[in-house]
Amino acid sequence: MGFTAAELEAIGVSARVAGVAVLVGLPLAVALGRYLSRTRGRIVWLVEVIVMLPLALPPIVSGFFLLVLFGRSGPIGRFLDDRLGVQIAFTWIGASLAAGVIAFPFMVRAARLGFSAIDPRLELAARSLGASRLSAFATVSLPLASRGILAGLVLGFAKALGEFGATIIIAANIPGKTQTIPLLLFNYTNQPGGLEESWRLVVVSVVLAAGALIISEVLEQRGRRRVRA
Amino acid sequence: MCALSFEARHWYPGGFSLDARFETASARVTALFGPSGSGKSSIIEMIGGLRMPDKGYIAVGGETLFDSATALTLPPERRGIGVVFQDLLLFPHKNAEGNLRYGMRRARRDGPEIHLERVAEVLELDALLDRPISALSGGERQRVALGRALLSRPRLLLMDEPLAALDDRLKLRALTYIERIVNEWTIPVVYVSHSQAEVRRLADYVVVLDAGRVIASGPPSEALAAPGAMQLKDASGPMNLLRVTNLRQEAGRWTGDIGGHRIVLPAMENAPGNEVYVRVSPEAVLLSRDDIEGVSARNHLRGTVRSVVEIAGACFVGVDVSQIVWAEVTPAAVRELGLKNGAPIFCLIKTHSLRVLE
Repeated sequence: MGFTAAELEAIGVSARVAGVAVLVGLPLAVALGRYLSRTRGRIVWLVEVIVMLPLALPPIVSGFFLLVLFGRSGPIGRFLDDRLGVQIAFTWIGASLAAGVIAFPFMVRAARLGFSAIDPRLELAARSLGASRLSAFATVSLPLASRGILAGLVLGFAKALGEFGATIIIAANIPGKTQTIPLLLFNYTNQPGGLEESWRLVVVSVVLAAGALIISEVLEQRGRRRVRA
Repeated sequence: MCALSFEARHWYPGGFSLDARFETASARVTALFGPSGSGKSSIIEMIGGLRMPDKGYIAVGGETLFDSATALTLPPERRGIGVVFQDLLLFPHKNAEGNLRYGMRRARRDGPEIHLERVAEVLELDALLDRPISALSGGERQRVALGRALLSRPRLLLMDEPLAALDDRLKLRALTYIERIVNEWTIPVVYVSHSQAEVRRLADYVVVLDAGRVIASGPPSEALAAPGAMQLKDASGPMNLLRVTNLRQEAGRWTGDIGGHRIVLPAMENAPGNEVYVRVSPEAVLLSRDDIEGVSARNHLRGTVRSVVEIAGACFVGVDVSQIVWAEVTPAAVRELGLKNGAPIFCLIKTHSLRVLE
């Protein structure tokens, strides 16, 4: 297809930004999904609303909150900068954070569904056979929910690749650093003749999205069959 | 041997309460017998550590597993107690061997010596080892669940209605496997059931439960014949409930009629009305081809055989004496007496074994 250097760079940045976003978020999403699958009550409801909020919120608003918290003068941003010398705003870490916020609800929801499909008494059976609480989780629930969790990871990755609104607020649009596929596409469409230029990245986006959906769907169905055995 | 002491009180949100206490002394197989909702499964879960009683004390082989007085609770993985669940709870992501090995890897070193090869032999699992759970039949899954619990080398084996999901033919086979386990490895078993036939066949000690209370305990013949136990409906064996009419006193004894037959009732605290219901266990009904003289049973009811039902090795014969009276006999007796539909027969019932519902 003959990608330009800027396009290849954007694809690389996208892969890194989205990959780090879902991998870092995964353990937390699994823990939270498991917690939500077993617990009922007002606190659970509140946690769920907070986690799911970015799905309903305009991404620009999510980006605004991220900037307030993680910007150079924000409480967390200043702390990280002063103590660890790590900058979030206008770096690829910021872009990853924005992508993670969007991907996280998908991963939590998939993990919760995965765990909900498992008979909680299977863990009790494991414990009566001598497994500790943690070992029962790791050897019974986690493998049984793994397909569902993976499905959420793939879908979250696809959503992270497409993040635009929050990313442009917290990470701006810096070629080679924070310029992901959608941000470069945005540049193209603002240029005369940009629509022609856009096709290559549009095709890449469609292929990635469709691939992610198919993988995610297949994983989820296999997971369901497995739990029912 | 490994005696179990159990004492627990528990209050459920719905208003049901459990208040039970028993000891199994040296019994090999202890049965918890009672109708659904009597608290049998809760007791199993409490012994296994899967549910905490509000108050109580549980000890196995002298080791305290739970004591509300000292706030001691051993987690299930440190109790050394195997559980065969009613719904088996096999791990669907492991094959038969993976299930069997799960508890083996984590077995207590002080448990009895139990080896995979021998378990596979006794439970006939060799051909199943590499099969996924989804490819096993109900009876095969049952055996894998038994083997899995055994291989964790428990000092006590709990079985919560392990045959509930099987049909009658498979039940009989499964009972044989359980008997093999009891004979091969001397692990004490606590067996939950609402089937008198299963309890009679397996148990040497019975704890009868009703509505969360222990209403009788002892050897099967005694515990199952206790007044409380008699009133329990038995899902797998018929229980006689007979209407006695035209009550009158004859020679100082209350006497009434079942159909056209005279029946002498045991002593009653209060004077009855004109009719009462009596219960009698099918086990207490003798069958005879002839109306024999000179037996101690005072009630001789003449009728015809209406049905012969075999359940887990015992035969129940339904005799029409104007109402149906069920008698429990051995398959050999069915052959020898020629018990077929329409055959004339006498039911002999001792007055003492009748329970009047007042």
